[in-house]
Amino acid sequence: MAHDWQPDFEQLVDEHQSMVFSLALRMTGDRGLAEEIAQDVFLELDRHLGKIESAAHACFWLRRVAMSRSADALRRRRVRGLDLWVEIKEHHGLPAEVRMSPLGTRLEQLMATLPEAQRAALVLRYQEDLTPEEIAASLDAPVATVKSNLQRGLKLLRAKAAAHLKEYVRPKECLRGV
Amino acid sequence: MDEFEQELRQAFERQPAPLGLKRSIMASRRRSSAPRGHTVLWQRLAATLALAAVLGGAAVWHQREEQRKGEAAYRQVMTALRITNHALDHMNKQLAAHHRASQQ
Repeated sequence: MAHDWQPDFEQLVDEHQSMVFSLALRMTGDRGLAEEIAQDVFLELDRHLGKIESAAHACFWLRRVAMSRSADALRRRRVRGLDLWVEIKEHHGLPAEVRMSPLGTRLEQLMATLPEAQRAALVLRYQEDLTPEEIAASLDAPVATVKSNLQRGLKLLRAKAAAHLKEYVRPKECLRGV
Repeated sequence: MDEFEQELRQAFERQPAPLGLKRSIMASRRRSSAPRGHTVLWQRLAATLALAAVLGGAAVWHQREEQRKGEAAYRQVMTALRITNHALDHMNKQLAAHHRASQQ
């Protein structure tokens, strides 16, 4: 189909590198691996640039491929028996503007303990502010499955936060509203 | 959205990409596109040469086949001429013998 949008690769990298890197980082927990994934994703975008029809399509495509490549990387690591999520411990070596609040760091650590499907749904929900329908399209999963993963992931995360973070130790009725 | 989800949203803001990421992407892009163009050129050249070799081979084979057929046809014609010549010679001798017998 003919389309008027003329993609500028460099501009797409500028606009979306943060999104792609953050998705890969939150899915794998490894800055080096996230950087590799981001690089691969953008090089693949370069190869598929002719098929991208609009800026929104580029964003959707990048999100989808970033999630898929991250899942592949996690699978490869599992096969090799490597433990992920060593990354958060390395935050002390990052520039000040990259460092998060201690609570944010702890939430990320807790997020890392969630099952992969729930983590993917939550990352897309809270990092990218997507609706369950958009998440389903990005992950190529049924909407009902995504809704269930969001609900279960949030419940689990809330329970873990209540157990591990003193900021979230609160009466049980607060947990009941999940 | 409750307080916990708000906190999650804040904790999950996009992180800035590493400073060298764009540079390494652009460098990889240049590296991968340069050999790609080069490779395509070589592939085209190899395909052209292979095609030329096949066509040339076919032309030579066709020419040799035509030559062989021509030579076979020539040999057949020559054989037929020799046979005809032999038959005519034989016939001529018989006619001459018959002519001599009738004169005597």
